[in-house]
Amino acid sequence: MLCTHTEKFALRSSCSPPAGCTMDCSDGYMCKTHLQIKNGTVAPRPRPSAHEQTGLPMEEAAELALDDAEAAEVPAVSPVIRYEYHVLYSCSFQVPVLYFRASFLDGRPLTLEDIWEGVHECYRTRLLQGPWDTITQQEHPILGQPFFVLHPCKTNEFMTPVLKNPQKINRNINYVTSWLSVVGPVVGLNLPLSYAQAASQDM
Amino acid sequence: MTDDKDVLRDVWFGRIPTCFTLCQDEITEREAEPYYNFPEKDLLHCPSKDAIEAHFMSCMKEADALKHKSQVINEMQKKDHKQLWMGLQNDRFDQFWAINRKLMEYPAEESGFRYIPFRIYQTTTERPFIQKLFRPVAADGQLHTLGDLLKEVCPSAIAPEDGGKKNQVMIHGIEPMLETPLQWLSEHLSYPDNFLHISIIPQPTD
Repeated sequence: MLCTHTEKFALRSSCSPPAGCTMDCSDGYMCKTHLQIKNGTVAPRPRPSAHEQTGLPMEEAAELALDDAEAAEVPAVSPVIRYEYHVLYSCSFQVPVLYFRASFLDGRPLTLEDIWEGVHECYRTRLLQGPWDTITQQEHPILGQPFFVLHPCKTNEFMTPVLKNPQKINRNINYVTSWLSVVGPVVGLNLPLSYAQAASQDM
Repeated sequence: MTDDKDVLRDVWFGRIPTCFTLCQDEITEREAEPYYNFPEKDLLHCPSKDAIEAHFMSCMKEADALKHKSQVINEMQKKDHKQLWMGLQNDRFDQFWAINRKLMEYPAEESGFRYIPFRIYQTTTERPFIQKLFRPVAADGQLHTLGDLLKEVCPSAIAPEDGGKKNQVMIHGIEPMLETPLQWLSEHLSYPDNFLHISIIPQPTD
C-alpha cells in the first residue's frame, strides 16, 4: 500500500500522555490521505504538497493536498480509492480518536465492508465479531461530514502499559505514534517504521 | 433529585407544548432531491437498525465518560445496555428509565457530575456543534447555570447584538431560563442519549 510520505504527520503529534494532559479541546486535527489501487498494486508515487496551517494548538492541520491528476497516471481499469484518516482529540475520553473514510475518485463513498477488504486478515475476524461495537459512523466534529470512527473507550486501557515501561527506563515515546501504530492497521492505515525513528529523534 | 423523572417523562410523551417557526432560509421552493440521490457525503445514512443502535450507544458512552469517567456505564451488563436501546426503540419510558436513572446519579460527596454532556448548535457557523469540557459546579461550590455555560463556551449567543437582535436558547423546543442550574438540566432535560442538545436560534422578528 502506498502512503503519501510525510514525517510531519508524526512530528506534530506531541500529545502528552492522558495523565499529564492539560490540553484544551483544540480546533485542529491531523489529516492523512493516500491513494490506493483497489487490486493492491502500487501507483506511481505522487509528490506530496503539504501545506500547514500555523497557529493551531497541539494538533495542527497538516493537510496533504494530493493532485488527483497524478493518480490518473494509473491504468484506467483499476479503480483508485482515496483514503482519508484524521486524528482528533476527544475531550470526553481525553485520548486521540481516529476518524476515517474512503471514496472512489468520483466521490462515491465506500461502505464499511469495502474498507475492510483492504484490511489484513489477522484483524478482520476480531473486528467482524462486533463491527458496530468498535466502529460507528459519526459527524466529524469540525467538518460535520460522516466519518467512520474507531471507538476510543478502550484506548486508555491499551495505552497505559505502553506508557508505563518507557517511563520506567526513562525513554521518551511519542504517544500519538504509538497509539496510531495500534489502531491504524485495523482500518488499513499502516505506519512506516520511519515514524517511530523520527519520533525518538524528535524527543 | 434523580427520582423526579416527571419532567423527562413529560418531554418523552410530548406533553410539554412546543411551538416553533421556520426561519426564512429553512423554507425552500426547490424540489426535494430524489431519494436515490442520498447525500452520502453530508448525512449519516444509517443503513440498519444495528447502525443506529451503535450510534446511540456510543453517544451514551461518551456522555458517561464525561459524567462518571465511564464508571457507571461500564459497570452495567450488556443486557442493561440493550434495555436502554429497546426502551427507546419501543417508546417505553419506564423500561428506559429503569436503567437510565443510574446514569443520572452521582456520588453523595459530590455536587454533581464530573462534566456536563452538551452540544450547542448554531446557524451562524460552519462548525457542526460546540462541545467542550464544562463542570456543573464552580470552585466555590456554586452551581453553574445555563447562562454560565453559554458565557463561557458560546458568548455570542447571549451577548446583546447590535440592533437589539437576540437569540433564543432552546432545549427540546423550549427556552429554559438562563438561571437554571446546568446540573438540573442535565439530570432532567437531557435527551435519551444523555446529552443536552442546545440550539441557538435567532429570535423571530414577527
